[in-house]
Amino acid sequence: MNDLPVGAACRIDSGGASVSLAEIPVGLDPEGVAVDSRRRRAYVACSRADYVAVVDLETNEVVAQVVVGSEPIDLAFDPATDRILTADAHSDTVSVVDAETLELVATVDVGMYPSGLTADHESRRIYCGNSLGSTMTVLDLDTLETIATVEAEVGAGAIAFDRTRNLVVCVNFIAASATFVDTKTWEPVGRVEVGSGACAVGVVPERGEAFVVNSLAGTVSRVSLDDFTVREELAVGSAPVGLTVAPAHDRVYVSNRGAGTLSVLGVADGDQWAQLPVGEGPGGVVVDPTDGRVYVANAGTGTLSILVDRLSGPPATAAVEERHPLIGAKLPEFSLLDFRTGERRSSREWAERKYIVNFFASW
Amino acid sequence: MILVDIWEGTDPRPEVERFCEMWGIQGTILLDPDAAYAQALGIRGVPTNVLVDSDGTVVDVGLVRIEELEAAVARLVG
Repeated sequence: MNDLPVGAACRIDSGGASVSLAEIPVGLDPEGVAVDSRRRRAYVACSRADYVAVVDLETNEVVAQVVVGSEPIDLAFDPATDRILTADAHSDTVSVVDAETLELVATVDVGMYPSGLTADHESRRIYCGNSLGSTMTVLDLDTLETIATVEAEVGAGAIAFDRTRNLVVCVNFIAASATFVDTKTWEPVGRVEVGSGACAVGVVPERGEAFVVNSLAGTVSRVSLDDFTVREELAVGSAPVGLTVAPAHDRVYVSNRGAGTLSVLGVADGDQWAQLPVGEGPGGVVVDPTDGRVYVANAGTGTLSILVDRLSGPPATAAVEERHPLIGAKLPEFSLLDFRTGERRSSREWAERKYIVNFFASW
Repeated sequence: MILVDIWEGTDPRPEVERFCEMWGIQGTILLDPDAAYAQALGIRGVPTNVLVDSDGTVVDVGLVRIEELEAAVARLVG
Protein backbone atom coordinates (compact mmCIF):
# COMPACT_ATOMS: atom_id res chain seq x y z
CA MET A 1 0.00 0.00 0.00
CA ASN A 2 1.20 3.48 -0.82
CA ASP A 3 1.74 6.18 1.73
CA LEU A 4 -1.44 8.18 1.75
CA PRO A 5 -1.46 11.87 0.87
CA VAL A 6 -1.60 14.71 3.32
CA GLY A 7 -4.76 15.99 1.67
CA ALA A 8 -5.99 19.36 0.51
CA ALA A 9 -3.29 21.11 2.48
CA CYS A 10 -0.95 20.18 -0.31
CA ARG A 11 -1.12 21.01 -3.96
CA ILE A 12 1.15 18.85 -6.03
CA ASP A 13 3.28 20.76 -8.46
CA SER A 14 2.47 19.15 -11.76
CA GLY A 15 5.54 20.73 -13.38
CA GLY A 16 3.86 21.55 -16.67
CA ALA A 17 2.16 18.17 -16.84
CA SER A 18 -0.97 19.67 -18.34
CA VAL A 19 -2.21 22.54 -20.45
CA SER A 20 -5.49 24.19 -19.58
CA LEU A 21 -7.42 24.99 -22.75
CA ALA A 22 -10.55 26.53 -21.27
CA GLU A 23 -12.75 26.88 -18.22
CA ILE A 24 -16.29 27.51 -19.40
CA PRO A 25 -19.18 28.64 -17.18
CA VAL A 26 -22.01 26.12 -17.64
CA GLY A 27 -24.46 26.39 -14.72
CA LEU A 28 -25.15 25.41 -11.16
CA ASP A 29 -23.47 22.32 -9.77
CA PRO A 30 -22.34 20.59 -12.96
CA GLU A 31 -21.71 16.89 -12.41
CA GLY A 32 -21.96 14.44 -15.32
CA VAL A 33 -20.27 15.25 -18.62
CA ALA A 34 -20.06 13.60 -22.06
CA VAL A 35 -18.50 14.55 -25.38
CA ASP A 36 -20.16 14.47 -28.80
CA SER A 37 -17.04 14.24 -30.96
CA ARG A 38 -18.85 14.49 -34.29
CA ARG A 39 -20.60 17.73 -33.44
CA ARG A 40 -17.70 19.10 -31.39
CA ARG A 41 -19.94 19.53 -28.37
CA ALA A 42 -19.89 18.68 -24.70
CA TYR A 43 -23.02 17.95 -22.71
CA VAL A 44 -22.98 18.78 -19.01
CA ALA A 45 -25.64 17.84 -16.44
CA CYS A 46 -26.16 20.90 -14.24
CA SER A 47 -27.79 19.24 -11.27
CA ARG A 48 -28.96 22.35 -9.42
CA ALA A 49 -30.24 24.02 -12.58
CA ASP A 50 -32.19 21.00 -13.86
CA TYR A 51 -30.82 21.30 -17.37
CA VAL A 52 -28.17 19.95 -19.69
CA ALA A 53 -25.74 22.62 -20.84
CA VAL A 54 -24.74 22.16 -24.48
CA VAL A 55 -21.21 23.49 -25.00
CA ASP A 56 -19.86 24.32 -28.46
CA LEU A 57 -16.25 23.17 -28.33
CA GLU A 58 -15.22 25.42 -31.21
CA THR A 59 -16.32 28.62 -29.48
CA ASN A 60 -16.23 27.30 -25.88
CA GLU A 61 -19.67 28.73 -25.24
CA VAL A 62 -22.93 27.29 -23.95
CA VAL A 63 -25.26 27.29 -26.95
CA ALA A 64 -28.32 25.68 -25.36
CA GLN A 65 -29.83 24.66 -22.03
CA VAL A 66 -32.12 21.65 -22.29
CA VAL A 67 -34.49 21.23 -19.35
CA VAL A 68 -34.66 17.64 -18.09
CA GLY A 69 -35.83 16.05 -14.83
CA SER A 70 -35.09 17.30 -11.35
CA GLU A 71 -31.45 17.17 -10.24
CA PRO A 72 -29.73 15.53 -13.20
CA ILE A 73 -26.53 14.15 -11.74
CA ASP A 74 -25.04 11.78 -14.27
CA LEU A 75 -25.22 11.89 -18.04
CA ALA A 76 -24.40 9.74 -21.07
CA PHE A 77 -24.39 10.31 -24.81
CA ASP A 78 -25.24 7.55 -27.30
CA PRO A 79 -23.98 8.35 -30.83
CA ALA A 80 -25.93 5.48 -32.41
CA THR A 81 -29.33 6.86 -31.42
CA ASP A 82 -28.04 10.43 -31.19
CA ARG A 83 -29.49 10.78 -27.72
CA ILE A 84 -28.38 12.39 -24.49
CA LEU A 85 -29.54 10.63 -21.32
CA THR A 86 -29.56 11.98 -17.77
CA ALA A 87 -30.12 10.34 -14.38
CA ASP A 88 -32.54 12.69 -12.61
CA ALA A 89 -32.05 12.02 -8.91
CA HIS A 90 -35.07 13.88 -7.55
CA SER A 91 -37.44 12.72 -10.29
CA ASP A 92 -36.52 9.02 -10.14
CA THR A 93 -36.26 9.11 -13.92
CA VAL A 94 -33.91 8.97 -16.86
CA SER A 95 -34.50 11.83 -19.30
CA VAL A 96 -33.83 11.25 -22.98
CA VAL A 97 -32.93 14.18 -25.24
CA ASP A 98 -32.58 14.19 -29.03
CA ALA A 99 -29.11 15.60 -29.67
CA GLU A 100 -30.11 17.00 -33.08
CA THR A 101 -33.25 18.87 -32.04
CA LEU A 102 -32.22 19.27 -28.38
CA GLU A 103 -35.75 18.36 -27.33
CA LEU A 104 -36.76 16.06 -24.51
CA VAL A 105 -38.20 13.01 -26.27
CA ALA A 106 -38.78 10.53 -23.45
CA THR A 107 -38.75 10.10 -19.70
CA VAL A 108 -38.19 6.65 -18.27
CA ASP A 109 -39.03 5.66 -14.69
CA VAL A 110 -36.20 3.99 -12.81
CA GLY A 111 -35.55 3.42 -9.10
CA MET A 112 -35.28 5.89 -6.22
CA TYR A 113 -32.64 8.60 -6.50
CA PRO A 114 -30.78 7.55 -9.65
CA SER A 115 -27.30 9.01 -9.47
CA GLY A 116 -25.14 6.93 -11.81
CA LEU A 117 -25.53 6.29 -15.54
CA THR A 118 -23.27 4.26 -17.82
CA ALA A 119 -23.90 3.25 -21.42
CA ASP A 120 -22.56 0.07 -23.00
CA HIS A 121 -22.79 1.15 -26.63
CA GLU A 122 -21.81 -2.21 -28.09
CA SER A 123 -24.24 -4.30 -26.03
CA ARG A 124 -26.89 -1.58 -26.41
CA ARG A 125 -27.65 -1.25 -22.73
CA ILE A 126 -27.63 1.55 -20.25
CA TYR A 127 -27.13 1.01 -16.55
CA CYS A 128 -28.60 3.26 -13.88
CA GLY A 129 -27.61 3.10 -10.20
CA ASN A 130 -30.50 4.00 -7.87
CA SER A 131 -29.00 5.21 -4.60
CA LEU A 132 -32.06 5.13 -2.37
CA GLY A 133 -33.61 2.17 -4.15
CA SER A 134 -30.43 0.14 -3.61
CA THR A 135 -30.87 -1.23 -7.11
CA MET A 136 -29.45 -1.04 -10.61
CA THR A 137 -31.85 -0.58 -13.52
CA VAL A 138 -30.83 -2.05 -16.88
CA LEU A 139 -32.41 -0.34 -19.91
CA ASP A 140 -32.31 -1.23 -23.58
CA LEU A 141 -30.42 1.67 -25.15
CA ASP A 142 -32.55 1.54 -28.31
CA THR A 143 -36.06 0.80 -27.07
CA LEU A 144 -35.60 2.31 -23.57
CA GLU A 145 -37.45 -0.69 -22.14
CA THR A 146 -36.41 -2.05 -18.76
CA ILE A 147 -34.48 -5.27 -19.16
CA ALA A 148 -33.84 -5.92 -15.48
CA THR A 149 -33.83 -4.40 -12.02
CA VAL A 150 -30.98 -5.83 -10.02
CA GLU A 151 -30.52 -5.71 -6.24
CA ALA A 152 -27.43 -3.80 -5.25
CA GLU A 153 -26.86 -2.05 -1.90
CA VAL A 154 -27.72 1.27 -0.33
CA GLY A 155 -26.12 4.14 -2.12
CA ALA A 156 -25.92 2.33 -5.47
CA GLY A 157 -24.63 4.81 -8.02
CA ALA A 158 -21.68 4.64 -10.37
CA ILE A 159 -21.41 1.67 -12.71
CA ALA A 160 -18.78 0.17 -15.03
CA PHE A 161 -18.78 -2.99 -17.09
CA ASP A 162 -16.40 -5.64 -18.38
CA ARG A 163 -17.83 -7.21 -21.50
CA THR A 164 -15.13 -9.88 -21.61
CA ARG A 165 -16.23 -11.25 -18.24
CA ASN A 166 -19.96 -10.53 -18.68
CA LEU A 167 -19.76 -8.41 -15.55
CA VAL A 168 -21.19 -5.16 -14.36
CA VAL A 169 -19.75 -3.43 -11.29
CA CYS A 170 -22.05 -1.16 -9.28
CA VAL A 171 -20.52 0.79 -6.41
CA ASN A 172 -22.58 1.57 -3.32
CA PHE A 173 -21.77 4.86 -1.58
CA ILE A 174 -23.41 4.29 1.79
CA ALA A 175 -22.71 0.56 2.03
CA ALA A 176 -19.07 1.20 1.06
CA SER A 177 -19.12 -1.78 -1.25
CA ALA A 178 -19.21 -2.90 -4.85
CA THR A 179 -21.75 -5.34 -6.29
CA PHE A 180 -20.79 -7.59 -9.22
CA VAL A 181 -23.59 -8.61 -11.57
CA ASP A 182 -23.60 -11.29 -14.28
CA THR A 183 -24.93 -9.76 -17.51
CA LYS A 184 -26.30 -13.09 -18.72
CA THR A 185 -28.51 -13.78 -15.71
CA TRP A 186 -28.74 -10.30 -14.16
CA GLU A 187 -27.98 -11.89 -10.82
CA PRO A 188 -25.40 -10.57 -8.34
CA VAL A 189 -22.42 -12.91 -8.32
CA GLY A 190 -20.22 -11.21 -5.77
CA ARG A 191 -19.51 -8.22 -3.57
CA VAL A 192 -16.51 -6.58 -2.01
CA GLU A 193 -16.14 -4.05 0.74
CA VAL A 194 -14.21 -1.00 -0.36
CA GLY A 195 -13.52 2.34 1.28
CA SER A 196 -16.21 4.59 2.68
CA GLY A 197 -18.07 6.81 0.26
CA ALA A 198 -17.57 4.65 -2.85
CA CYS A 199 -18.84 6.84 -5.67
CA ALA A 200 -17.03 6.21 -8.97
CA VAL A 201 -15.63 3.23 -10.82
CA GLY A 202 -13.73 2.34 -13.98
CA VAL A 203 -12.61 -0.96 -15.44
CA VAL A 204 -9.45 -2.11 -17.20
CA PRO A 205 -10.56 -5.50 -18.59
CA GLU A 206 -7.18 -6.70 -19.87
CA ARG A 207 -5.81 -6.44 -16.32
CA GLY A 208 -8.98 -7.86 -14.77
CA GLU A 209 -9.22 -4.83 -12.52
CA ALA A 210 -11.69 -2.21 -11.44
CA PHE A 211 -10.70 1.07 -9.82
CA VAL A 212 -13.17 2.28 -7.20
CA VAL A 213 -13.07 5.82 -5.86
CA ASN A 214 -13.73 6.11 -2.12
CA SER A 215 -14.58 9.72 -1.47
CA LEU A 216 -14.70 9.66 2.32
CA ALA A 217 -11.73 7.35 2.72
CA GLY A 218 -9.79 9.49 0.24
CA THR A 219 -8.45 6.52 -1.70
CA VAL A 220 -8.90 4.46 -4.85
CA SER A 221 -9.32 0.70 -4.40
CA ARG A 222 -7.77 -1.57 -7.01
CA VAL A 223 -10.21 -4.50 -7.18
CA SER A 224 -9.82 -7.87 -8.87
CA LEU A 225 -12.61 -8.73 -11.30
CA ASP A 226 -11.70 -12.40 -11.02
CA ASP A 227 -11.95 -13.02 -7.29
CA PHE A 228 -13.66 -9.79 -6.17
CA THR A 229 -10.97 -8.78 -3.68
CA VAL A 230 -9.22 -5.48 -3.04
CA ARG A 231 -5.64 -5.79 -4.22
CA GLU A 232 -4.40 -2.37 -3.17
CA GLU A 233 -5.44 1.05 -1.88
CA LEU A 234 -4.04 3.89 -3.94
CA ALA A 235 -3.34 7.45 -2.87
CA VAL A 236 -4.96 10.37 -4.65
CA GLY A 237 -5.96 13.91 -3.65
CA SER A 238 -8.46 15.02 -1.05
CA ALA A 239 -12.10 13.89 -1.32
CA PRO A 240 -11.94 12.08 -4.69
CA VAL A 241 -15.33 11.75 -6.38
CA GLY A 242 -14.93 11.12 -10.13
CA LEU A 243 -12.96 8.70 -12.29
CA THR A 244 -12.46 7.81 -15.90
CA VAL A 245 -10.07 5.39 -17.57
CA ALA A 246 -7.84 6.93 -20.25
CA PRO A 247 -8.34 5.48 -23.75
CA ALA A 248 -4.87 3.86 -23.69
CA HIS A 249 -5.74 2.21 -20.35
CA ASP A 250 -2.35 3.21 -18.96
CA ARG A 251 -3.79 5.72 -16.48
CA VAL A 252 -6.98 6.76 -14.79
CA TYR A 253 -8.05 10.30 -14.03
CA VAL A 254 -9.52 10.98 -10.61
CA SER A 255 -11.17 14.28 -9.75
CA ASN A 256 -10.49 15.45 -6.20
CA ARG A 257 -13.42 17.51 -4.93
CA GLY A 258 -11.57 18.59 -1.80
CA ALA A 259 -8.30 19.50 -3.45
CA GLY A 260 -9.65 21.09 -6.61
CA THR A 261 -7.38 18.93 -8.72
CA LEU A 262 -7.31 15.98 -11.10
CA SER A 263 -5.05 13.10 -10.15
CA VAL A 264 -3.31 11.14 -12.88
CA LEU A 265 -2.96 7.64 -11.51
CA GLY A 266 -0.80 5.03 -13.25
CA VAL A 267 -2.72 1.82 -13.91
CA ALA A 268 0.32 -0.46 -13.75
CA ASP A 269 2.32 1.17 -10.94
CA GLY A 270 -0.59 2.61 -8.96
CA ASP A 271 1.40 5.78 -8.41
CA GLN A 272 -0.02 9.24 -8.57
CA TRP A 273 1.90 10.75 -11.47
CA ALA A 274 0.59 14.26 -10.96
CA GLN A 275 -2.24 16.37 -9.70
CA LEU A 276 -3.42 18.71 -12.42
CA PRO A 277 -5.15 22.00 -11.60
CA VAL A 278 -8.81 22.25 -12.63
CA GLY A 279 -11.74 24.31 -11.35
CA GLU A 280 -13.03 24.30 -7.79
CA GLY A 281 -14.95 21.32 -6.45
CA PRO A 282 -14.40 19.07 -9.48
CA GLY A 283 -16.56 15.98 -10.07
CA GLY A 284 -17.48 14.40 -13.40
CA VAL A 285 -14.57 13.63 -15.72
CA VAL A 286 -14.35 12.15 -19.23
CA VAL A 287 -11.79 11.89 -22.01
CA ASP A 288 -12.58 12.49 -25.67
CA PRO A 289 -11.01 9.39 -27.28
CA THR A 290 -10.59 11.20 -30.59
CA ASP A 291 -8.13 13.80 -29.30
CA GLY A 292 -7.35 12.81 -25.71
CA ARG A 293 -8.64 16.03 -24.24
CA VAL A 294 -9.88 15.76 -20.67
CA TYR A 295 -13.16 17.36 -19.59
CA VAL A 296 -13.91 18.03 -15.93
CA ALA A 297 -17.15 19.41 -14.48
CA ASN A 298 -16.44 21.68 -11.52
CA ALA A 299 -19.37 21.84 -9.10
CA GLY A 300 -17.85 24.66 -7.06
CA THR A 301 -17.15 27.12 -9.82
CA GLY A 302 -20.00 25.91 -12.07
CA THR A 303 -17.61 25.43 -14.94
CA LEU A 304 -16.26 22.88 -17.41
CA SER A 305 -12.48 22.57 -17.53
CA ILE A 306 -10.85 21.37 -20.73
CA LEU A 307 -7.24 20.31 -20.51
CA VAL A 308 -4.53 18.33 -22.21
CA ASP A 309 -2.54 15.81 -20.20
CA ARG A 310 1.07 16.15 -21.39
CA LEU A 311 2.46 13.22 -19.45
CA SER A 312 3.75 10.48 -21.72
CA GLY A 313 4.21 8.18 -18.77
CA PRO A 314 5.32 8.20 -15.15
CA PRO A 315 7.28 11.39 -14.40
CA ALA A 316 11.05 11.10 -13.98
CA THR A 317 10.92 12.92 -10.68
CA ALA A 318 8.40 12.54 -7.94
CA ALA A 319 5.74 15.20 -7.69
CA VAL A 320 6.50 17.85 -5.10
CA GLU A 321 3.90 18.58 -2.49
CA GLU A 322 3.43 22.24 -1.72
CA ARG A 323 2.31 23.52 1.64
CA HIS A 324 -0.96 25.45 1.62
CA PRO A 325 -0.03 29.16 1.76
CA LEU A 326 -2.46 29.75 4.62
CA ILE A 327 -0.51 27.54 7.00
CA GLY A 328 1.49 29.68 9.41
CA ALA A 329 -0.50 32.82 8.60
CA LYS A 330 -3.18 34.47 10.70
CA LEU A 331 -6.69 33.42 9.75
CA PRO A 332 -8.32 36.36 7.94
CA GLU A 333 -11.23 37.76 9.89
CA PHE A 334 -14.75 36.77 8.82
CA SER A 335 -18.22 38.15 9.32
CA LEU A 336 -20.85 35.69 8.10
CA LEU A 337 -24.54 35.01 8.67
CA ASP A 338 -25.49 32.27 11.11
CA PHE A 339 -27.76 29.74 9.40
CA ARG A 340 -29.76 29.06 12.56
CA THR A 341 -30.15 32.55 14.05
CA GLY A 342 -29.75 34.77 11.01
CA GLU A 343 -27.34 36.91 13.02
CA ARG A 344 -23.97 38.01 11.76
CA ARG A 345 -21.10 36.18 13.44
CA SER A 346 -17.53 37.41 13.56
CA SER A 347 -14.25 35.54 13.99
CA ARG A 348 -13.66 37.73 17.04
CA GLU A 349 -16.10 35.46 18.93
CA TRP A 350 -13.58 32.67 18.65
CA ALA A 351 -10.55 34.76 19.63
CA GLU A 352 -8.07 33.02 21.93
CA ARG A 353 -9.69 29.66 21.23
CA LYS A 354 -8.49 26.67 19.27
CA TYR A 355 -11.02 25.69 16.64
CA ILE A 356 -11.70 24.14 13.26
CA VAL A 357 -13.41 25.81 10.32
CA ASN A 358 -15.03 23.17 8.12
CA PHE A 359 -15.96 24.33 4.64
CA PHE A 360 -18.71 22.19 3.10
CA ALA A 361 -21.42 22.16 0.46
CA SER A 362 -24.70 20.27 0.63
CA TRP A 363 -24.10 18.61 -2.74
CA MET B 1 -15.98 23.50 15.15
CA ILE B 2 -17.53 26.08 12.86
CA LEU B 3 -19.14 24.83 9.66
CA VAL B 4 -19.17 27.19 6.71
CA ASP B 5 -21.49 26.38 3.82
CA ILE B 6 -20.31 27.50 0.38
CA TRP B 7 -21.15 27.16 -3.32
CA GLU B 8 -24.86 26.45 -3.04
CA GLY B 9 -25.60 28.78 -5.93
CA THR B 10 -29.26 29.19 -5.04
CA ASP B 11 -30.78 30.11 -1.66
CA PRO B 12 -28.60 28.08 0.69
CA ARG B 13 -31.07 27.81 3.57
CA PRO B 14 -33.30 24.97 2.33
CA GLU B 15 -30.29 23.09 1.02
CA VAL B 16 -28.43 23.42 4.31
CA GLU B 17 -31.53 22.47 6.28
CA ARG B 18 -32.02 19.34 4.20
CA PHE B 19 -28.34 18.45 4.48
CA CYS B 20 -28.24 18.90 8.27
CA GLU B 21 -31.39 16.86 8.72
CA MET B 22 -30.07 14.07 6.53
CA TRP B 23 -26.74 13.79 8.33
CA GLY B 24 -27.81 14.88 11.83
CA ILE B 25 -25.51 17.90 11.85
CA GLN B 26 -25.73 20.26 14.79
CA GLY B 27 -23.67 23.21 15.99
CA THR B 28 -22.69 26.50 14.39
CA ILE B 29 -23.24 26.81 10.66
CA LEU B 30 -22.28 30.00 8.85
CA LEU B 31 -23.23 30.89 5.28
CA ASP B 32 -20.71 32.03 2.69
CA PRO B 33 -23.02 31.74 -0.35
CA ASP B 34 -20.71 33.21 -2.97
CA ALA B 35 -17.67 31.56 -1.36
CA ALA B 36 -15.93 34.93 -1.10
CA TYR B 37 -14.40 34.08 2.26
CA ALA B 38 -13.38 30.61 1.11
CA GLN B 39 -11.72 32.07 -1.96
CA ALA B 40 -9.85 34.58 0.18
CA LEU B 41 -8.41 31.62 2.06
CA GLY B 42 -7.47 29.75 -1.11
CA ILE B 43 -9.97 26.96 -0.51
CA ARG B 44 -10.38 25.00 -3.75
CA GLY B 45 -12.73 22.23 -2.74
CA VAL B 46 -15.02 20.68 -0.19
CA PRO B 47 -14.82 19.38 2.38
CA THR B 48 -11.80 21.27 3.68
CA ASN B 49 -10.85 21.76 7.30
CA VAL B 50 -8.84 24.72 8.57
CA LEU B 51 -7.29 24.31 12.03
CA VAL B 52 -6.73 27.50 13.97
CA ASP B 53 -4.56 27.92 17.06
CA SER B 54 -5.54 30.13 19.99
CA ASP B 55 -3.44 33.03 18.67
CA GLY B 56 -5.33 32.92 15.37
CA THR B 57 -2.58 31.16 13.42
CA VAL B 58 -3.62 28.54 10.86
CA VAL B 59 -1.80 25.33 11.69
CA ASP B 60 -3.27 22.99 9.08
CA VAL B 61 -5.50 22.99 5.98
CA GLY B 62 -7.25 20.05 4.32
CA LEU B 63 -7.51 17.03 6.57
CA VAL B 64 -10.55 15.32 5.16
CA ARG B 65 -9.81 11.78 6.25
CA ILE B 66 -10.84 11.13 9.83
CA GLU B 67 -7.47 9.75 10.93
CA GLU B 68 -5.70 12.81 9.52
CA LEU B 69 -8.10 15.12 11.29
CA GLU B 70 -7.84 13.28 14.60
CA ALA B 71 -4.06 13.40 14.51
CA ALA B 72 -4.04 17.09 13.66
CA VAL B 73 -6.52 17.90 16.42
CA ALA B 74 -4.40 15.94 18.89
CA ARG B 75 -1.39 18.04 17.89
CA LEU B 76 -3.41 21.25 18.14
CA VAL B 77 -4.79 20.46 21.56
CA GLY B 78 -1.36 19.33 22.66
